[in-house]
Amino acid sequence: MARLAVHLPPLALRNPILSASGTYGHAAEMQHMADIRAIGGLVSKTVTRLPRHGNPAPRICETEAGFLNSIGLENKGLDYYVRELLPQMAEQDTCVITNIGAERVEDFVELAARLSDEPAVDALEVNLSCPNVQEGKLPFATDARMAARVIEEVKRATKKPIFAKLSPNVSRISEMAIAVEAAGADAITAVNTVLGMQVNWRTGKPGLHTVQGGYSGTAIKPIALRCAWECARSVSIPIIGCGGITTAHDVLEFMVVGCTAVQIGTASFGDPGLVGRLAGEVEALLDSAGIDDVNALIGTLRTPQATPRATRPHEGQQAPCASKT
Amino acid sequence: MPAPPIDARSLTARTVSVTPCGDDGFVLRIRPDVGQAPLRAARFFMLRREDRLSPAIPRPFSIYRQVGEDLEFLIKNMGTGTAALSQCTPGTRLRLIGPLGNGWPALDGEGAPWVMLAGGIGSAPFFMGIEQALAGMDGRKPVQRESITYLYGAARRGLLYDIEAFRRLGVRVEACTDDGSAGFKGNVLQLLEDLWKRGEVPRQVRLLACGPERMLEAVENLARARNLQCWLSLETLMGCGVGICNGCPVPTVESGPMGAWPNAKCCVEGPVFSVDDVTLAGAH
Repeated sequence: MARLAVHLPPLALRNPILSASGTYGHAAEMQHMADIRAIGGLVSKTVTRLPRHGNPAPRICETEAGFLNSIGLENKGLDYYVRELLPQMAEQDTCVITNIGAERVEDFVELAARLSDEPAVDALEVNLSCPNVQEGKLPFATDARMAARVIEEVKRATKKPIFAKLSPNVSRISEMAIAVEAAGADAITAVNTVLGMQVNWRTGKPGLHTVQGGYSGTAIKPIALRCAWECARSVSIPIIGCGGITTAHDVLEFMVVGCTAVQIGTASFGDPGLVGRLAGEVEALLDSAGIDDVNALIGTLRTPQATPRATRPHEGQQAPCASKT
Repeated sequence: MPAPPIDARSLTARTVSVTPCGDDGFVLRIRPDVGQAPLRAARFFMLRREDRLSPAIPRPFSIYRQVGEDLEFLIKNMGTGTAALSQCTPGTRLRLIGPLGNGWPALDGEGAPWVMLAGGIGSAPFFMGIEQALAGMDGRKPVQRESITYLYGAARRGLLYDIEAFRRLGVRVEACTDDGSAGFKGNVLQLLEDLWKRGEVPRQVRLLACGPERMLEAVENLARARNLQCWLSLETLMGCGVGICNGCPVPTVESGPMGAWPNAKCCVEGPVFSVDDVTLAGAH
């Protein structure tokens, strides 16, 4: 029986399996579908300060190997969350992480301050993929300076641990990771959805009302794995892997590249019972591999070393290049 | 926050049979690994194959018939999700999430007769609906056979799926097709107008409808114009089926009982809605 408990200091999780924001509701919805006690933690859907009605339909669209969404953060706002949803999450026997989103730094601060005094909240996850309406409308997560500012201000406003949720839609995610670590993040969630779109060539219509949206599902797993790995080797705070994780093998792959925990998102749509079974499946895999503690796998990626045969003299100075460009 | 029904589960099933139906449809018969209590008509399951041949996201399908331990779904071949299901063979493993949704309201024998309007594959939730209305729902008075008129429309004859099964239920069944290849030439609304004009259906009726969105919009307009009680069984894209993804919004009637929020969730607050609650036609 391998040990599954992991630490996202100061949090202790019974296992590394978390639900991803927006894909598991607030647990009450899922209590008949899965054994919530078998989950390391639940991440709420993004809560905003004021209610948001969300985007017009179509809001979702499936592609060959993944899923596009543009929901528009539909939610009933912070007051409703604290009054109606948080108590439901608090009743579940697992960690509760509240995901917060805002388009202004001061709204992030207000969310963090209000939730700071809620004993049911174990940690805050900051959704940095929201557009920064005060400066150019680009997502906070694409600007290291702005991402850091949000984390810094949130950190000042709350006593709770903070997870910074990063976007893969950037040139160098390591820069973002370094910036949010310096700003005081306690952990990094890597990553949010990849920007994508779908179109029907016959009708000329896009699959989503907003044309582009967040791409998730198994198709983005290699992208997410690469992002998680880049974050893990750039910072010393824990990384929570997220993106396309569907099987226990996927979970362990993310741990090998340096993640301490993982989040399960789109896979829950295909089988809402999955998150409740994954910890057991991870345990079985570890047992079969003779590994007695899941922590022993974290960050054990063996990067290929250059050997004399691999570097022939006439190619002398060229290092292997990961990009074709 | 509306929650999924308490009897909904994530479970597995095996394919019993796939029987072609009409020009492009089939009846998928499956046996869930966990027995299902009697299900209300117009409830649904999210369905996909357990192997990797189905798309990642399951598809919502209304229950067509419940036969002993088995469930039957009447499905139109539309795209990759339905094509994968059509290629199931006996024994193919399926994942199903459900039963989901609310189902038809209690169809009771007191009050105005019922007119059921089905378009194409929208006939699926009506078979058990008629059976249950005739048997009596929720302890209400059973509906008499002559108090149910089933109007079934499609583009052409081959898209009137399994219409003979409906005739065998003993209620009045009238068909119509756009091209006139079966029954009345025209759509179900034109057929209803025609029956009204000829005095074959009373003016004061209660409407249930399921079909393409444009048809449902027209039914809603008719119900509002004539002040008729009306329920629509809606189909939307759905990501999860359990009220979590917010992918299936339906506009609410601002002045209606659900008007406090601009969207209803089709999966957990529907799929059957009164036109007092939601609007496809933009009513306020």
